[in-house]
Amino acid sequence: MHWAKLAPEAFKAMIALEVAAKRGLDPTLVELVKIRASQVNRCAFCLDMHVKDARKAGETEERIYLLNAWEEADGFYTEKERAALALTEAITVLTDGFVPDEVYERAAAHFEEAELAQLIALITTINAWNRFGVSTRMAPGQD
Amino acid sequence: MTHRMKFWGRQRAFYEAQLRLTLAAKKGLGDPVLGELVVLRASQLNRCAFCIDMHVGNLREAGVAQQRIDLLPAWEEAGALYSERERAALALTEAVTVLTDGFVPDEVYERAAAHFDESELAHLIAVIVAINNWNRVNVAVRQPPGQEL
Repeated sequence: MHWAKLAPEAFKAMIALEVAAKRGLDPTLVELVKIRASQVNRCAFCLDMHVKDARKAGETEERIYLLNAWEEADGFYTEKERAALALTEAITVLTDGFVPDEVYERAAAHFEEAELAQLIALITTINAWNRFGVSTRMAPGQD
Repeated sequence: MTHRMKFWGRQRAFYEAQLRLTLAAKKGLGDPVLGELVVLRASQLNRCAFCIDMHVGNLREAGVAQQRIDLLPAWEEAGALYSERERAALALTEAVTVLTDGFVPDEVYERAAAHFDESELAHLIAVIVAINNWNRVNVAVRQPPGQEL
């Protein structure tokens, strides 16, 4: 189904969420978070889009293909990125154990409160796109 | 459990957009009780205390039988308490909420498509996505149940 055509007001609200969520965040970090959430939620359409966006923005091949194993990939991601990726995984997989204090505090040590709120909004929004993408089987590489 | 951050007060534009998404989704679905059952079930799966508290309250206010509220975590085993249409919506809710445990299977999608027309189905998916958004933020910031956002 073409959900955006069937539910145009919901689609417009999603665009507004996206604009609000990205505001002020480092674009490199934004793409890493979006790729990682899309990997965890297994959204092919989203993964295709954000890997291409990251590449276009000059992200390195290693940092893209090692993202699936970022915890083991010493030296490829900054401590700030790692804190954001851990928070991304916790907020994406709520059914497997809340958002633990150590994950939240690690993020709070690298992001001041306004930026941390942006990051939570971003993680929530990519999760929303992932859900639309997977449930309606949006095809990778298409509009 | 400490409230970690006043997220919604900080993120006004995000809040407005999230409210718009929720209202548009519910309006297009057009079955408020079904919508509340879906939203409560997603909040149970995502273990959002603030959201469970709010939506149990909404279901009670709407006059839904207490037994239908209490047995929702076990709806599959609860016989005739839920209609076939509600059961199709609840199955879709669980699949779309727990993407990490196996996509949205054809049989779940088709079961929902047999009970909802295409526009209702698109809006049902939007309702499920919208509550997942509320769940994610409110769990992340430990929004206290029973208080204003």
